[in-house]
Amino acid sequence: MAGLSAAISGRRVLVCVGAGGVGKTSVAAALGLARALEGGKVLVCTIDPARRLATALGLDALGNAETRVPDEAFAAAGLRPRGQLFAMMLDVKRTWDDLVTRHAPTPERRDRILRNRLYQQMSAALAGSQEYMATEKLYELATDRDYDLIVLDTPPTANALDFLDAPDRILDFLGDDQAPLLLSPARGARLGFRLAQLGGSLVVKTLARFTGGDMLHDLGDFLASFHGMYEGFKARAAAVHELLARPTTGFVLVSSASPRAVAEARSLHDRLVAEGMPIAGAVANRVTAPLWPTGRPRPGPGELAAALGADDAGLAPGLALALEEHERMAAADAGALAGLLALAPGAHAVVPRMEEDVHDLAGLAALAERLLHTGPPPAV
Amino acid sequence: MALHPHLDHRLVVVTGKGGTGKSTLAAALALLAAAAGKRVLVAEVNAAERVAPLLGAPPAGPVIREARPGIFTVNVTPPAALREYGLQVVKLRAIYDAVFENRVVRHFLRVVPGLGELVMLGKILHEARAEERGRPRWDQVIIDAPATGHAVQLLRVPGAMLGMVPPGPLRADARWMQAWLVDPARTAAVLVTLPEEMPVTEAIELDAQLRERVGLAPAAVVVNAMPSPRFTPGQAVRLAPLSAAPSPVGPAATAARLHAVRSAAAERELRRLRAALPIPTALLPLLATAGWGLAEVERLAAALAATGEGSPWQA
Repeated sequence: MAGLSAAISGRRVLVCVGAGGVGKTSVAAALGLARALEGGKVLVCTIDPARRLATALGLDALGNAETRVPDEAFAAAGLRPRGQLFAMMLDVKRTWDDLVTRHAPTPERRDRILRNRLYQQMSAALAGSQEYMATEKLYELATDRDYDLIVLDTPPTANALDFLDAPDRILDFLGDDQAPLLLSPARGARLGFRLAQLGGSLVVKTLARFTGGDMLHDLGDFLASFHGMYEGFKARAAAVHELLARPTTGFVLVSSASPRAVAEARSLHDRLVAEGMPIAGAVANRVTAPLWPTGRPRPGPGELAAALGADDAGLAPGLALALEEHERMAAADAGALAGLLALAPGAHAVVPRMEEDVHDLAGLAALAERLLHTGPPPAV
Repeated sequence: MALHPHLDHRLVVVTGKGGTGKSTLAAALALLAAAAGKRVLVAEVNAAERVAPLLGAPPAGPVIREARPGIFTVNVTPPAALREYGLQVVKLRAIYDAVFENRVVRHFLRVVPGLGELVMLGKILHEARAEERGRPRWDQVIIDAPATGHAVQLLRVPGAMLGMVPPGPLRADARWMQAWLVDPARTAAVLVTLPEEMPVTEAIELDAQLRERVGLAPAAVVVNAMPSPRFTPGQAVRLAPLSAAPSPVGPAATAARLHAVRSAAAERELRRLRAALPIPTALLPLLATAGWGLAEVERLAAALAATGEGSPWQA
C-alpha cells in the first residue's frame, strides 16, 4: 500500500487544498471514487468543476443536491463499485440562506435579512464568502448524513489561505456590535456616549459623502438585523473549526510543479500546521516523469541514428531533441517539487502528466490508481 | 521589438485562468513597451507579487517603484488604495484620520461589498488617465489582473456601483471608470490561456462574461506554452512502435510520442478556441526551462514581437 493510501484510509473527511489550476477537483473526485469502489458511501462536494467532469459525476446544475452516480455510468466505465458515490455542487447563496434561516430568531427577522440588498450581494461579493460556505456545508453534511467519507474540493481562491481566514473575517464583520450603532442613528441615540466617543455625526456624514447615504442605511439595517445572531454563528464556526481539526479529517495538499503552485502549497502547509489542522498528505499532479537515468549522458542524434537503423534514421535529430527537452522539464519539475514532497514524508503521490485531462469515470479510476496504488514514487 | 497594434493601448488588462502565465505575459508586454521607448506601469492586484521578481527586481509593495529603466511596478492593496482614495475625497488629513482611521470605520470599510475592488481599480485607472503637463503620466498601464472569476468581480464593480450608489463622489468615480474600461480605443483586454481543455473552456467563458457583465470585449488571446510539432504525420506513426524498443531508442521515442500527443491535443484545443473566439490569437512557444526569470521573459517578449514568418499572431 502506498503512503498516501495508508494516510487517508481511516479518514471521514478529506479537504483538497492548493492553488487554482492544479487539478484539485480531479484529485478530490478520484479519492472519493477510490473509497466508493472499496465499499464506502462517499460524497464528493465540489465548487466549480469542468463541464465534462461534472457530467461524468452526473451533475447538471448547482443547488446543493446530493446526486448519486448511477450504476450504468460505472458499468459503462467498466467499474463495479462495492459502495456508493454521490456528488454535489456547492450553491453558495443557498447555503447562506440556510444558515440565516437556521439562526434567525423569528420568521420576520429572517425575511428582513433575506430581502436586504446588501445581503443579496454579499454571497457573491464578499471576499471569502464561498470559502466560508464550503466549510459550513461540510459541517452540515458531516453531522447530518451517514457518509463514510466526504471529500471537499475547495474554491479557486485568489489566495488559497483565504480558505482559512474567511470565516473569521466574515464573523468579525457580522459580530461587530459597534458598527450597527454607528450606522443607525436612531438605534445609537440610546448609546449617545459611544457615538460621541467615535465623533459620531462627523463620521457618519463623511462616510455618507463617500459611499452615499442609502448604502449606509442598508448596511446599518443589515448589521442590525444580524444583531443577536452572532453567538449562534460563532458557535457554529467553532464547531466547523473543531471538525476540521479532528484526527479523522485530513487535508490533502495538491500542487502542480509550477513554482507558483508549490509556493502556495507550502504556505498552506505552514498555516495548517500552525492552526493544528491534520495534514493527510501531498499530491504532486501533472508531473513530467523522467525517462532517462539520472547522471547517464543522453544519446545524441548519431547514436540514435545508429540504433534506429536505416529506415528510421531520419527521426534521430527529432528524438534526441525530444528526449533532451523532456528530461530538462522533468528535472525542473523534480526540483520544484522536492520541497513540497519533503513536507509530507511517506504520505505523498506523484502523478505524471496524463495525455488527456481527466473527464470521465474511467479516467478518474486511472487517476485514483496513480494516487493510491503505485508504490513509492520515483525519487525526486 | 515593438508592440503589436492589438496591444498598443493606454490600458491593457491581462487575465485568464490561474496558472496560465498571466504575470509572465504582463512582464513580457512591459519589456516590449519599454523597448519601444514607452514609460510603463504594471499593476498587480493584491497579489503575491510576481512581475518585479520576473524582471529581476525586488517586489515593489504598495508604492510604485522602478523595476527596470522605463518599467515601474506596484502591488495595489485595499488598505493603501483606500487611504489614497479617502484622502482625495476628504482632502483634509485631520478629518481623514479622525474618520477613516477610526477602528470601527476601518472595519466597516473593509467589508462593504465591492469597495476594496473599487478603490484598487480606481487607483490603477487613476494612474492610467493621469496627465502631467498635458502628457499622459504613463504611456501604458498593464493590469496583471486576478484569475477569471476574481477578475470579473474586479472589473464589474464600477458598473455594479452605478446601479447601487446614489449621486455623489463614489458614483461619479464609478462612471468615469466604467467609461474607461469599455472604451476600445483606450483599453485592451487580453485573455491568457494554455492549449489544454480546461484553460480553453475557461477562456471562452471568460470572454462571454467580460462582454456580458462588464461590457468589455477582449482584444486578443495569447496561448502560452504551445508545443511545436516536431514530426511529420508519417514520422509520428513510427513513434508508438519505437517506444517499445530498447534504450536509447525506447526512452527517446517515448519522449517524442508524449510530445506528439501533447502537440496534437494542443492543436485540437487551439482549433476549438479559435472557433469560439474570432479575435486575434498569438501563440507563444513551450519553453523547457527550469525556472522563470528575466532571460525567459525576454525570450517570450521576442517571440511575441516577431514579425513576418515567425509572427505569433493568427488573424
